[in-house]
Amino acid sequence: MLTFAEYLLRGTLAGAVYALLAAPMSMLFATVRTIDFAIGGYALAAAAVAASIDGPQGLVLALATAAACAGLMALIFVALKRFGCDDGIVYALASFGLATAIASVVLWSWGAKSFVRDSNAVFWSIGGIRVAQQGLFNLGVATAVVVALHLVLQHTSLGRMMRASAVNAVGASLAAVPVQAIQTGVYIVGGLLGGLAGLLVLYSAGLDFSAPLGLTLSGFGAAILFGIGSPVRCLFGGIAMGIAQAMASGYFSEAVSAMTPFLFIMVVLSVGRSGAEALAGGRP
Amino acid sequence: MRGWTRDFFVALAAISLATPALAEDGPVRIGAVLSLSGPAAVFGIPERDAIQAVVAHFDSTTKAGRKFEISYYDDKSNPTDAVRAVTQVASADKVVAIIGPSTGSGILAAGPVAQRLTIPLIGPAGTLAITDPKNEFYPWIFRAAPSDASDVGAILQDIAKNKVTKLGIFYQEDAYGKTGVDLAREVGPKLGVEIVETASSPYTATDLTAQATKLRNAGAQAVFLQVSIAALGSSFVKAARQVGLDVPTYANAGLAQRSFAENVGPELNGLRVLSIGNLPYDPTPGEAELAKMLEAAGKKPQGWGELTGVNALMAALGAIDAQKGKEITGQSMRDTLETLCDFEKYSRGKVCYSAKDHDGWHEDSLVVTEVHDKQLRTIK
Repeated sequence: MLTFAEYLLRGTLAGAVYALLAAPMSMLFATVRTIDFAIGGYALAAAAVAASIDGPQGLVLALATAAACAGLMALIFVALKRFGCDDGIVYALASFGLATAIASVVLWSWGAKSFVRDSNAVFWSIGGIRVAQQGLFNLGVATAVVVALHLVLQHTSLGRMMRASAVNAVGASLAAVPVQAIQTGVYIVGGLLGGLAGLLVLYSAGLDFSAPLGLTLSGFGAAILFGIGSPVRCLFGGIAMGIAQAMASGYFSEAVSAMTPFLFIMVVLSVGRSGAEALAGGRP
Repeated sequence: MRGWTRDFFVALAAISLATPALAEDGPVRIGAVLSLSGPAAVFGIPERDAIQAVVAHFDSTTKAGRKFEISYYDDKSNPTDAVRAVTQVASADKVVAIIGPSTGSGILAAGPVAQRLTIPLIGPAGTLAITDPKNEFYPWIFRAAPSDASDVGAILQDIAKNKVTKLGIFYQEDAYGKTGVDLAREVGPKLGVEIVETASSPYTATDLTAQATKLRNAGAQAVFLQVSIAALGSSFVKAARQVGLDVPTYANAGLAQRSFAENVGPELNGLRVLSIGNLPYDPTPGEAELAKMLEAAGKKPQGWGELTGVNALMAALGAIDAQKGKEITGQSMRDTLETLCDFEKYSRGKVCYSAKDHDGWHEDSLVVTEVHDKQLRTIK
């Protein structure tokens, strides 16, 4: 029983990072009706900068770099709109391209080295299970970010404007909602959150230039699991994915454990009510 | 186009592709198809850097005075791109030998192309299957690094010597990881080492505590890492520390990288890593010479990628010099490589290719190192 509880706890802590990657995807979907697949790229850019510059200024510069990369994505988004493109798929594909470009720039600038920072080797015991302080910190940050995003989206006038921009951009513009500014801002905030996730990965596991796609897919899986329209569901989606991975790694042979999380996503999307909401956007 | 005209041009193209004969005074062209992007860039980039440094040092001239040129292509760590690059370098650059592709899967995919174009591939990869005599393209593939079997055998011998009888293995989910585990399962029991549990992960996992917990619960007395991604290796040792898996850790040659050594904490002093030489930290005189060339080219030695890349280059140059005064073609390079023995190189061990041995490099080119103060120190 203790072993089961240990995998449960470790999966929960691992899922926090997925949730943090998923939350900006959810926010962007709620505002622009598209997905920013460059989230993993922002995480990598932030980690590379933070690994190279010591101290708090390194962390600040890392987040600024991630925001700048997201700003570039926002410019691409605006340019595509100016050219008459109004298709969320095109924006999503453009973000894939940007993620690849970020990975290439990191490879070119830093080489193939890995980015790892040693966090405080402080361990806590929870019911006899040894966990790192960093893991609990990750969960705390992810929860705080998700709750804050939820409150902004659902209980503020900014959130109403964001949702209005997604549902009917023309109507929102006629109602004096600065649609383009809001959508651009959401891209940049998403970049900041992606950068924050990158910093947490840097201190808890480490990553290298090949990380963006894996991080993005983990975040995307967490985002769609219980419905992409709500950051809170992203938190639960991330934790569910983390637990599925931990259980699969702990109890199944490697041949099965590799595919188990994806099977889990497929099953949830196929049979659950939340699956339908995920595809529809899951708006309240 | 009339039938005979088309046939004529097709035949002409085939001849020009298949037998790029060279006049003795022209530069000999060699291709380098390496992983310069994608996950295997961690090896492909050092391979390229080292080849460039040696070429600059030699001023593109072999010891016997023959000029040579190298054309570089990126296989993108992808077998399909490896095939494309090998075809392109053969047709566009008229090379007589190709260094690479960097990965075993790339070499296996490009093997039939090399056979068809009659150009030997000198592959800096450990993947066992690339020099399997059962391959139809076997005559055209030569290895420039110890095989996975040599690596796993060497590190398991060290593990057994340290009286470990119950071993847990953590490996990455790819051909390198799986082959290593399969070999360890085969070799381990012969050395008295039982594989009590295995755990795996994809390259980009952000948390490995579940895998470390699984190995801890199995009662492993030591852990063996069959991993070549430095970030994944660092992540596992962090996870092991977190879950209280306090047992000796051994790593296969994939982790003999500066990037791994520098990222493990002082509490992991003593972690043992198999390595092909020890270019960055404890070089032999030959390795030190190569390290100097790298530094002259503005590069910091990273690990063994430089050595395997240069192994392949030196084999090619050795084969060129062995054909002094003769016309050099892909076929003649292959035939000469198959008889090449004890040629000039910078890595350890005696290397002899033969019709029955296309591996060349064996266990005598390997060393066991230990992490101390973020460096890999060779165990004397």
